Amino acid sequence: MRLPLALGVLAALAVAAPAIAQDTLKIGAPQPMTGPDAPFGDKFKKAYGLAAEEINAAGGINGRKLEVIIDDHQAKNPLAATVAEKLITQQKVLVLTGGRASGQAVEIASVAQRLKTPYMVDHPSADIITAKGFEWVFRNNPTGSIYPMAFNNFISEVPGAMPKSTAVVYDNTVFGKTIANSAMTFLKSRNVPIVADEAYPVNSLDFKPVMTKVKATNPDYLLLIAVATTDAILLTRHAKEIGVTPRAIVGFGGGFGVEDFAKELSQLADNVYSSAAWSGNPNDAATQAFYNKFHAKYGIYPKEHEVEGYAAIYIIADALKRATLTGKIEEDREAVRQALLKTELTTVFGKLKFGNWAGPLGDQYTNQNIYSPEHSVLAQWRGGKLLNVWPKANAEVAYVFPDPTLKR
Amino acid sequence: METLIQSLVSGVLTGSLYAMIGVGLTVVFGVMRIINMAHGDLVMLGMYGAFWAHVGARVDPFLSIVVWMPLMFLFGMAIHRFLLRKVVLGGELNTLLYTAGLSLFIANLALFVWTGDYRTIKLSYAVMPLRPFDIAVPIPLAISFGLAIVITVALYWLLARTDMGRAIRATSQDAEAAALMGVNVERTATITFGLGTALAGGAGVLLAPSLYLYPTVGEILVAKCFVIVVLGGLGSVPGAIAGGILLGIIESLGAVYVSVAYKDLIGFVIFLLVLLLRPAGLFGVGKS
Repeated sequence: MRLPLALGVLAALAVAAPAIAQDTLKIGAPQPMTGPDAPFGDKFKKAYGLAAEEINAAGGINGRKLEVIIDDHQAKNPLAATVAEKLITQQKVLVLTGGRASGQAVEIASVAQRLKTPYMVDHPSADIITAKGFEWVFRNNPTGSIYPMAFNNFISEVPGAMPKSTAVVYDNTVFGKTIANSAMTFLKSRNVPIVADEAYPVNSLDFKPVMTKVKATNPDYLLLIAVATTDAILLTRHAKEIGVTPRAIVGFGGGFGVEDFAKELSQLADNVYSSAAWSGNPNDAATQAFYNKFHAKYGIYPKEHEVEGYAAIYIIADALKRATLTGKIEEDREAVRQALLKTELTTVFGKLKFGNWAGPLGDQYTNQNIYSPEHSVLAQWRGGKLLNVWPKANAEVAYVFPDPTLKR
Repeated sequence: METLIQSLVSGVLTGSLYAMIGVGLTVVFGVMRIINMAHGDLVMLGMYGAFWAHVGARVDPFLSIVVWMPLMFLFGMAIHRFLLRKVVLGGELNTLLYTAGLSLFIANLALFVWTGDYRTIKLSYAVMPLRPFDIAVPIPLAISFGLAIVITVALYWLLARTDMGRAIRATSQDAEAAALMGVNVERTATITFGLGTALAGGAGVLLAPSLYLYPTVGEILVAKCFVIVVLGGLGSVPGAIAGGILLGIIESLGAVYVSVAYKDLIGFVIFLLVLLLRPAGLFGVGKS
């Protein structure tokens, strides 16, 4: 009598154990939660949190709960690789997202490819991430060489806006060089002289000498490219302190689009442009609804990063719903990869379908969102707010050009 | 021409702060033969002091120097009295390793307490720079420059005119002879370390409104420090002042006329050349 009961209990445990292990579907997200990029890590944490909460409240993934595991890489490239490997081998996540900056994402992509785990990139933008032929790496957001497209369109389409000369100051990271290269390639194709081409090391404490040099070339446009927010702030401050007077100052990179930029610079931020990945069409009702939901939960309005992070979880959830999961982690990862390949979706970020195509600089992309060229936007700071000005269909306000605060 | 004058002005302004950091390091080396690897971190503490005075107590960061310099003086004396005094007997290599450890400890403690976030001090009166003759002079740097001069002059007066100063200089020249003449060398060393720490803290307070601060900013500063004191000659106060201003000008001109990417490289190449060709410093007054 006792033996069959014990066997029964054992059998029940044997059945139940894998079921418990499979209970949640894990998404791993290496992000900078401490260190210089911690504010960005926090943005993604909020975005992932809201998305996962909504998906789970609506029944989860075919009845199973979604869990996003964030692990801190402190904005250090080697640590990003370690963290990614830990998430894959120890936490047994099905799929990775996040990364925050290109340098770290390049490392994560290599680990994901090696350990055969899908990596859905939500924000890192260096072209190389989806240009290495990695079939396990997917990207929703535009590549770095696409970032300047809204700016390129602006100077091409607005009468008289084509620069007579341009100074380009960029950081010597993967991100900085990619964007500078893309912007300068376009400008040269339009015969715009590049009067200053200055690369600086990240976290330079003093940009007054560079700006002194730039001022001497009297540029018609000043393009600033910074992966670090502190650099974005100091570049702008020192350009204005030294008295560089172009018709427009255009920033590229996350630092030019965050609240801190306006908070630290106050009136110095006014009329500075930011050409970047967009944050969804603000004139779209679904995007507006998301903005309001986010504000209701966290008290802030989402921007580029939050929109990308939120969309990433929905993209992964969509693939997980369509994938046939068996409980064997290797097979499931392959199933998720196959499902991602068949994605056709519209998120708050915009339309998505992964494809293989060639970028503006000729890079061959693998699993890069084919709608990326439409996802670049030019915005301008106005009284502490960053508002879209180009393309016209997404504009929230009319552009101010030339910048009247830069007295010539 | 305007570009040249602007780079010289920027260089001298930044250089004056480098000089103040360098003087603190060189005074300590002169008297105690301690190469203080934690000097940059002491500057960092001064920067946070100014930041918290501004954010926490709404005191103008420059004004807070009146509080922080004496506090850092006491802090420095305590470090020497309780930590360094015994280690000094072990020789220069021991103090080098000890202060390197101290540097890691202070930086990581700061990282733990204040997190790695980058912070800046916003001054309402310092948004736009002064523009005499169309040369940009940022207000925070101008104030720092003025205060750095005042502090350096005061230090000079202290070293040249007071008994304490004479004792410091005597110990620096020859500790044994000074002891024979009745100078309390131990006490002089403690006070000198306090003085060096106060100068580091003071420089931090002055730097904070022009830079941004984060717990490991000391690493960058200490590297610059060594270039400065070697340029001017280890142990020489006038040498450190000249070295600081020289480095400021070199960096500024280098970034303008060569490339900002090589700004630090240029500084270190000169550092190596001076070590190779003039180990006693450009002015030949230092101790090799």
